[in-house]
Amino acid sequence: MKTSTKSLDWGLTTQRLLAVAALLAIWQVIIWSGTLPSMTPGVAALASSIGASLASATFWSALAQTMTAAVSGWLIAVAVGTVLGLLIGSVRALDRSTSILIDFGRSFPVLALMPVVIMLLGATAQMETVVVALSCLWPVLVQTIYGARRMESAVVDTVRIFQIPALLRFRRVLLPSATPFIATGIRISASISILVAVGVEVLSQTPGIGRQITLAQQAQRWDSAFAYLFFAGLVGWSIASLLNFAEGRILKWNRQNND
Amino acid sequence: MAIQAAPEDVQVATKPLLQVQGLTMSYGFGDSENKILNDLNLDVNDGEFVSIVGPSGVGKTTLLRCLSGLIQPRSGTVSVGGEVINGPHRDLAVVFQDYSRSLMPWMTTLENVAFPLQGRGVGKKERNETAEKNLAAVGLAGQGHKYPWEMSGGMQQRVAIARALAYNAKVLLMDEPFASVDAQTRFDLEDLVIDLQATLGVTIILVTHDIDEALYLADKVIVLAEKPATVVDVIETGFGDHRDQVETKADPRFADARARILHRLRDH
Repeated sequence: MKTSTKSLDWGLTTQRLLAVAALLAIWQVIIWSGTLPSMTPGVAALASSIGASLASATFWSALAQTMTAAVSGWLIAVAVGTVLGLLIGSVRALDRSTSILIDFGRSFPVLALMPVVIMLLGATAQMETVVVALSCLWPVLVQTIYGARRMESAVVDTVRIFQIPALLRFRRVLLPSATPFIATGIRISASISILVAVGVEVLSQTPGIGRQITLAQQAQRWDSAFAYLFFAGLVGWSIASLLNFAEGRILKWNRQNND
Repeated sequence: MAIQAAPEDVQVATKPLLQVQGLTMSYGFGDSENKILNDLNLDVNDGEFVSIVGPSGVGKTTLLRCLSGLIQPRSGTVSVGGEVINGPHRDLAVVFQDYSRSLMPWMTTLENVAFPLQGRGVGKKERNETAEKNLAAVGLAGQGHKYPWEMSGGMQQRVAIARALAYNAKVLLMDEPFASVDAQTRFDLEDLVIDLQATLGVTIILVTHDIDEALYLADKVIVLAEKPATVVDVIETGFGDHRDQVETKADPRFADARARILHRLRDH
């Protein structure tokens, strides 16, 4: 049983590597075909540029700036979103009265808020953090409200029959029952945080990877622009994988539903 | 003194443990009012095993929800030990039909069984001991570390029964508890419940649509029919404490009682 899953994993790894190789091959063929502008880097140029970035201090400080803004904005959103979401989702009156606000907030294009936040805070790291936090808040909030609201009716009946006190009910029933949803919100907002942080940097020239991409573009350094793009993707993907792994560990009981 | 006290004791002993008087329940109001239960009266004595049988949709679950205090009847009362209930009560525990949903998937089996005790403020050591003891009573000794989803349906229902037992209520209410397990598991669970009732002396009220199950388990079968539902018959089974899936069901009294219930249900 164990060996079979392991050999299956190997097969999957091979398949995934093949998919990446195929993508690189297609990229290279397109470059050779000459359909893209001649400045577009091929696979080899891209690889050497990625290598060069890894050795440059500018890259590492840009990465640190982007990550700091993204992660702190994301953490603020997670903290505020879960607390607020649990409160709203578990108090029916609050849930009903705030639903219009929540629906409005989640459909609001947060990037449009950026100019206003720049007016308040300037094109600074704080501004970037605030815009990231505002963008990440909604997925966490909406998912948490949904999770807290969703308690199974059989569980609600059980808790009532055994007269479980409110605090214990919150800690041992409502919270665990909402956790898979909260985890989804946290995961979605993690990808959003990188996306928005880089976007804000591109648009407002706040220091970070996004700004480096714009600078490379202006200097006609196509290879470094593509290398930075690659890193932006890599960071997003690493965070998502890390969270997936953590979720699998913490929510062992919930795996039954995903299988 | 003792002689004086005796008649009082007798009176207390004969007073039903659970009493339903004039229970009426409907959903909706005015023109859209849908009456489910009409003027039900039931007496359940201490230590008695009572089955409530009736066709699907007659209002059995509504009745059980009224008995457990989960919903308030429109009129009439449910009382336990002489006290009229107005919500869930310390002396009433419930085993739900939907065991796979009523057990918390994020808790181990032991934590599930101990949870009602935790709600009552019992310390960790004591509540785990009680939970372990009750798991053993339902044939799941040493299985407390497993999660409910690692167990079969029959085992999960045993956990739900252990949880209700651990709560140590005077009355155990069971809502179609064996409706979603296979026939053999069902027989095993029926015999388990009979054994538990004999050894622990707990009073059980079990709702089922299965006439054979109602007869096999109970001392007294209450037949519900009509719309809105009302008690159309009460049958004392008289099989005593010893029951056997083959013998008891082959007893002529079993066949007679079953025929009587079928007639009752058909006539309405």
